[in-house]
Amino acid sequence: MEMFKTLIVILLSSVLVNNYVLSRFLGICPFLGVSKKINQAVGMGISVTAVMLLATAVTWPIQYLLLDKLGLGYMQTIVFILVIATLVQILELLLKRFSPTLHKGLGVYLPLITTNCAVLGVAINNINDGYNFLESIVSSLGCGLGFLLAMVLFSGLRSRIDESRVPAPFRGLAVTLIAASFISLAFMGFAGVVDALFA
Amino acid sequence: MKNNGNMSVLLKGILKENPVLVLILGTCPTLATTNNVAGAFGMGIAAMAVLVCSNMLISLLRKIIPDSVRIPCYIVIIAGFVTIVQMVVQAYFPALYEMLGVYLALITVNCIILGRAEMFASKNSVGKSVLDGLGMGLGFTIALCAMAIIREVFGNASFAGHAIAFLEPYKIAFLVKAPGGMLVYGLLIALVYVITQGKAPVKTEFSCAGCPSAGTCQTGACQKKGGEQ
Amino acid sequence: MKKYVKSTLVLVCICATISLMLAATNAITAPIIAKNQNAAANAALLEVMPDGKEFEPVDISSFTLPATVTEAYKEAGGGHVITLTTAGYSSGLVLMCGINADGTVSGTVCLASGETLGHEKTYGANFTGKNLAEAEAVDTISGATKTTAAYRGAVKDAINAATILSGGSVDIRTEEEILADNLAAALPAGEGKFTKQFITEVIEGIDAVYRAENGKGAVCVVGEQFIGVDESGVVVSAVETALAEQISAQMTILNSSVETELDLSNYPELPSALVSAAKTATGNYVLELQGAGYGINGGDEYHPASGEYIYIRVSMTKDGKIIDCLTVSQAETQGIGSVCAEEKFYGQFAGKTEADYNSIDGISGATITTNGYKKAILRAFESVKILEGGAGNEE
Repeated sequence: MEMFKTLIVILLSSVLVNNYVLSRFLGICPFLGVSKKINQAVGMGISVTAVMLLATAVTWPIQYLLLDKLGLGYMQTIVFILVIATLVQILELLLKRFSPTLHKGLGVYLPLITTNCAVLGVAINNINDGYNFLESIVSSLGCGLGFLLAMVLFSGLRSRIDESRVPAPFRGLAVTLIAASFISLAFMGFAGVVDALFA
Repeated sequence: MKNNGNMSVLLKGILKENPVLVLILGTCPTLATTNNVAGAFGMGIAAMAVLVCSNMLISLLRKIIPDSVRIPCYIVIIAGFVTIVQMVVQAYFPALYEMLGVYLALITVNCIILGRAEMFASKNSVGKSVLDGLGMGLGFTIALCAMAIIREVFGNASFAGHAIAFLEPYKIAFLVKAPGGMLVYGLLIALVYVITQGKAPVKTEFSCAGCPSAGTCQTGACQKKGGEQ
Repeated sequence: MKKYVKSTLVLVCICATISLMLAATNAITAPIIAKNQNAAANAALLEVMPDGKEFEPVDISSFTLPATVTEAYKEAGGGHVITLTTAGYSSGLVLMCGINADGTVSGTVCLASGETLGHEKTYGANFTGKNLAEAEAVDTISGATKTTAAYRGAVKDAINAATILSGGSVDIRTEEEILADNLAAALPAGEGKFTKQFITEVIEGIDAVYRAENGKGAVCVVGEQFIGVDESGVVVSAVETALAEQISAQMTILNSSVETELDLSNYPELPSALVSAAKTATGNYVLELQGAGYGINGGDEYHPASGEYIYIRVSMTKDGKIIDCLTVSQAETQGIGSVCAEEKFYGQFAGKTEADYNSIDGISGATITTNGYKKAILRAFESVKILEGGAGNEE
């Protein structure tokens, strides 16, 4: 029960309170770049969540069973990024081979994910936070869902921006960032909520 | 003349092609580490060191690295230099290491570095690549510091950790928080647009040229997006 | 095919080169990083021992140290840094004390406190440069007596621990353990289990009596001496004949004491605080009273509707002198008002009369509990007067 509670707290706080995009600024590039249409946002969000889960499932054992045992902790960054890049490639190949429909939907986003700092960030953070395997998986799921939530919310906002008359200096990225700032401000309201729920 | 060319390679990164404010690259560290000047400066210098080293090595190896595996090669080289910088910072600047945390490791996936490797170092001589790295690194550092000064001075009434007493009652605490970062960044981009209007090619949207994944991106997600615009 | 081989080869070579570079850098930076981390860990140690050079953790499991000690470090110059956790109001204090090689305190710092924040932050400075005897003489701070006393006790423990770690020997028994050891030595037949007896008779020259729980006699405390007495009142410890005879005589009085319960309904004017009363054959009274504590109307008047009373047993001579006093039960605030259940508080009433009972030391921080207790004692004096007067009326 205690463990279940811990997992729920980890999940909710990584979706709402420590939202990777809105409060930790990880994965900002795709957030600003690919969140123009709601279906794009959903596709990217799902791909990122899948890769995050997969990456954590692979990097966690690598860190604890390989790098730490061999005293190669300093190889963390280089090994993790290579693992993520390889995973993305394999995932893309598998999708192409076995599920062309899914590949058509998600495949376009996969190459963009290799250099998505949210994926590397979540892999490293799970190690830094000392989570066990199950907690790491839940934390990755939470971060992915948080990313998806932020993307979808923001894509709705952006379609409204596109229909508005924006002053010239603010056109494009400037107004996008300012709008993102307001969403982030709204998410700050979740601080303390999750802990209070289970206090 | 040649000298002039080198100078322009160095200087273009500072304003005309400023990676943060014009090319809109490396947004994550820009937003995450600019809530205090010391952290922003440290991040700028660390990224510059990685940029210069990786540009140099990639340019040196540009004729050896086969095209098909160049992206993995670049990633390995960059991640290697990032780790070296990480270790050096942890050894000699432990306070900075604490401050930057995971963002130091995330220099690896900073679009500026992979972007410059792909766009510049793989096509130019070693000397020019180093200058390009220096210029871009300087531009990155300057932009980060400018943003950090605004956020720290007005948000926390301090400069690089030293309190500014007379601003204390007027500080806008939200500036040092996440939303403040996005707001200041947005306003700065608009400001640079106003300043450089007509003088510099202003990019207000992501493009394939600036996308580090362009090399592996056969599907043309960006083009499609660009087309829709 | 050749293309693949070349590509793979180049990638592998680059990976290998980068790995070598990393290993080389790591070889240079790893010792510095380890030193930095060590320095950060030692920063706290240096705070309590500014002149310390190198610290080395000590395995405390191989020493018998005071129970409060949680960690110990040995300094190159022979000093020690001791981390202690005390029991306080709630979660207690976590202290770090530096003890020099000569047994003086080099510094103390409070790392964590579950108590009311305040004095423990500055109180520690009082101990710097003091040895064991001087540290014991440091005054507690009124209003934070419990916390500061715990602090002082912990510093004392730290000095003792450092002495033990340096190879010395120290009596680290608590007061209870010393008492238990003394009792067991005085009357081996008691098998180490003794209960303090509530005295109902005037006995001369004996400070306290501890009954063996198995009924095999008692131990009388006379000053510093512990004297065993068997069940028939014969002194078994080796003491002077005169003292032995005196104790034997007093114990006979005590052993033959008989109490008769009084019917309180015969005395309608008795205060409501009096729960029950009994009279001994020698004419002393044994009274049970309920005192209003903190929870009951601010300790002033008696409101049986809410809160818990403090139940007090008092034995008193018929002319109004308290023989013994005991807190039977109480539910005061743990660590504050609950001090009224400690002998150091209620023991003060022994020998007091209505004229001077008010002069006892109150419980610091628990004025209301103290006042409620004193009021109950006053009711005891009044009750005895009424019971004595009532007895006269009946004649």
